[in-house]
Formats: sequence, structure tokens, C-alpha cells
Amino acid sequence: MNISTGIKELDYMIDGGLRTGQCYAIKGTAGAGKTVLSLFMTLGALKQNIPVLFISTEVEPSKIIDYVKSFGMDFDDYIKKGLLVVDKIALKPQGVNIVQTDKFDLSAIIARTKAKMDAIKAKLVVFDSISAFIAEFQYEKTARSGFMDFIREITKEDAALVLTAESQVSQEHATLEEFLVDGVIKIRSELIGNQLVKRISVPKLRSAQPISFENRFIINKDGIMILRSENPPTIFIQEEKIGIDKLDELLGGGIPAGSVILIEIDGETNYFPLFLTTLFHQLKKEKGVIIHSNVHMHSARILEEFNRVECDISSHLNEGNLVFIDKYNRTVTAVEAREMSQLMTTDDMISVTVELMEAFARTEQRSVIYGDLTDDVNILSETDFLRYFALQSFNVKEKRAVAYSFINHNAISREILARLRTTADIIIRFSRVNYTNYIECLKSSTGATFLPKIVKFRDKYPLIEIIG
Amino acid sequence: MEMKILFFTSPTCSWCPFIEQVLERIVREANHLELEIIDITKNIEMAEEMEIVAIPTIILPNNQRIIGAADEAFIREQLDFYLIMG
Repeated sequence: MNISTGIKELDYMIDGGLRTGQCYAIKGTAGAGKTVLSLFMTLGALKQNIPVLFISTEVEPSKIIDYVKSFGMDFDDYIKKGLLVVDKIALKPQGVNIVQTDKFDLSAIIARTKAKMDAIKAKLVVFDSISAFIAEFQYEKTARSGFMDFIREITKEDAALVLTAESQVSQEHATLEEFLVDGVIKIRSELIGNQLVKRISVPKLRSAQPISFENRFIINKDGIMILRSENPPTIFIQEEKIGIDKLDELLGGGIPAGSVILIEIDGETNYFPLFLTTLFHQLKKEKGVIIHSNVHMHSARILEEFNRVECDISSHLNEGNLVFIDKYNRTVTAVEAREMSQLMTTDDMISVTVELMEAFARTEQRSVIYGDLTDDVNILSETDFLRYFALQSFNVKEKRAVAYSFINHNAISREILARLRTTADIIIRFSRVNYTNYIECLKSSTGATFLPKIVKFRDKYPLIEIIG
Repeated sequence: MEMKILFFTSPTCSWCPFIEQVLERIVREANHLELEIIDITKNIEMAEEMEIVAIPTIILPNNQRIIGAADEAFIREQLDFYLIMG
């Protein structure tokens, strides 16, 4: 049985909700919002008419009921209906002296908890907090091992158990509870500027793959809000497609015509699988493809790569759907080149490109431009390059084309990269960590951005697969 | 005046039979003491009322608690302390 926490985003993070028979720990530093989160989980279950047993080790039940009123929750009604029991368990009742030894078990609270669960048929048990409870014992180790029995016995009753546990700021290693529980929900707060920012993550989840990113965690009067770090697209546009299903889906179905896409790569990552996959897709869709070829995107190499992966593009070549513009013409001798002052000026490049786009437009073909800008940045002066990029982007937008510009972000200055990013509509970044390639979207005109996703290369079309 | 020692036990507690013997011996020796043994699995209401957390728990007549198993000397010491102070 899955118990929704009442917080949609949290349900997503823990794979659909709290599962009965499993134990979850909410970890966080003091004041992170562990108790508030557990109270909202309680409310979430109650709203679905699932009985809850809430055990507090620190605060009197009447105080908790008062406390939740400040969040606009009314527990009294649920208590009257027999759906909720709020209880306090502490080792040392008020006004009692105790002496302790290290030979004991916790069968008394197991029996007491079970009796209360039976009374209301509780499917969710919240224990707030294990740290405060254990701290009362002189022999903490025995208490902890006794608590393992508690977890085992309660989850055996087909109920979900939620524990809250305090973690010290310095304490990054896992404590005993973390090994024992099936899921860990971690709340971390950090000071950014003068604002305390809370983040929530799920570092451990036994029933499913844990989610390895942190989301913003906000507590205010209206309740708990979890903002996903990954933005879903705000608008769905299907005018043009990149040609990699998963990527199009993440960007919101497709991309608008007139987009300038900046694909940032580091020098070590091979962007050809992405390049060839989208290129082949555009050719299949009968688009007019213009490639500003250079040392990386050399015509011979592209054809060779297509042959290697057994994609036939000869018909498109014959029909003239695929045009290469050689920026650095090797047939021109050095003397001629000097006479022409430059091998091919950027203005020439632009005018040729525009003419081609117009030619494609006459046959009602949309144009797609591919280019690797890395060398241009280094060969041209900064102003020339930025002017070239701005003019080309302008033409792309005017002619409703799509431009894919690849850039090695390690080989260019940060200022130039920042300017390119300003002009670009969509920024996709390739990165590599420990021989695993990742793709992420930093900016998109559809509003979508996504966190790094693992990329796998294949030797058949489509050459690229995005996982996760 | 009869005074009660409450002894909370459970079937899963391995130290309890020993403690029970010790307590019975103590009670036999003192004529004003009485022992009540409570199995929490059978009398959960009592455990709830006295807010018992761990087993074994001994509640002395002055409401002092001994949590966890201890040897005879320790229990006698706690009890004597109460009797002297009491």
C-alpha cells in the first residue's frame, strides 16, 4: 500500500509515496523542518482516511495539536473520528528519578505502540524524534539496538514508519538509523547571502532508484512547498524537432523555429553522435541542411561517419539537400589568399548562407545550419566573431531556420562564452565525469531546463541515447 | 504499612527470571514490602499508565526507577538508600 505524503513533489521523490512495511528517516539539522514535514505527512495520510499514530518524544500531545493550528491544520477532528492518536513517549516521566544499566530491551514501547496501532488500525506511525529519545539513555548503544527491534516489529504490522533524526552539521557519515531504514529523506539548510535556504533530497531509497539531486524545500504559513530544481517546460512547441526523442520531450515536445542552439562541449567529449543523429533526422524530414564545415565538421569525415553507422545519405546529397560551405578553402593558394585579404570573410559566409537559405525557401524547405564555432573564435578577432555570430543568429530568426552551434567551452574565453549564451535560445551542455557522458540543458526558450542526464552512445542510428 | 515494588517484565526478556528471584528474596526478608510482577504483554494498560519504555523496569516505593537488569547488590543498594532516606 502506498501512502501519499500529500506533497506531490515529495511523492515523486520517494517513488509514489510511503510504502507500508517500510521505514523512512527524515534527517536534518536542528530547525530544518523535520517535525513540520512529519506533521504534513500525517495530515496527508489523514486526508486519505488513513489512520495515523503520531509519537512525540519531546513535546506534549496538546502542544502539537496547538502547534499544527498555526499551519491551518485541525487535528482535533481527526482525533474525534478515531483516525489519529497523538502520544508522548519518554524514558523519564516528570518527577521520577531513574538509574540505568546496560541490560534492557525496548519491548515495552513496542507493546505499547502496537496496542495503540491496533486500536485505530494505524497504517502510518510517525516517531519524532529518535535522536531525542535515544539521548535519554545512558547506554545509547543498547538503546539503539533495542530500537532496531522497534523498527522491525512496527513495520511487520504492515504500516509505514517515519522516524525523524537529528544530524549534526559536521556529521556527514551515515549513522546507525541510516543503515537500518529503507529510505532517507534529508533536509539540509545553508546560508546564502543572509537567507537560510533549505534543500531536500533522498539519498537512500530501497524500493527504487534514489533521486540524486536536491530540491528547494520551503516552509511557510501555507504549508510545505518543494520546488523542483529541474524545470519542466512552460510551453509546448512542436514546430521543429532536434531529432532525439528524449531530448525533444525534455524540452517540451520540440523547439521553436528560429532557434539558435548552443551546444557546449569540453575538448574531450565527442559530439559527433549527437551531431550526426540530429543531422540525419533533419535530412529525413527533407530539410535543407547547411554545414559550415571546418577542421572538425569536415565534409569527408561526416560522410565517412555516416557510412560507418550505415546511414545512407547519398539521395539527400544528390538532391542538394545537404550543402557544405568550406570556410577555409584549401584550393586557394597563399598568394591568392593574401590578395583576398582573408580566406573567406565572415561577410561572405553570411551572404552565401543567406542565399542558400533563400534557395531552400523557394522549394519550401526549412533550413538547418550546423557549425563548429571553436576555431572561428580563435581565428577571428573578438568583435568580428561576435558580429558574425549576431548576424547569423539574426538571419536564422528572420528565415525561421534552426542553427546548431557547437563550441568547446574550454577553448574560449569566459566573456565570449557569456555573450554566446546571451544570444542563444537553447543551451545544451555536454560534460564528462569519470568516463560517463552527461547532457544537460541550461537555458531554453520553452522554459525547460534539466539536470545532467547520462548519455550513452550507440553504433547504430540513433547514435545517442539519453537515460533517466 | 505495606509498600509495593512494581516489577515490569515481558516473555522476551532474558534477564527477568533472575531479577524476579532476587526481588522475591528481598521481599521475603523485609516484612513491610510487597512485590507486584506485571507482564506487559498481558497488562498493557498498566505499562501505559506507568509510561514504561524499557524492560526490565523496577519501580521502587519512592517512585524511583531502575531501568535494566542489575545484580542483587545493586538493587539492595538502591532499596537501602531509599529506606535510609525514607
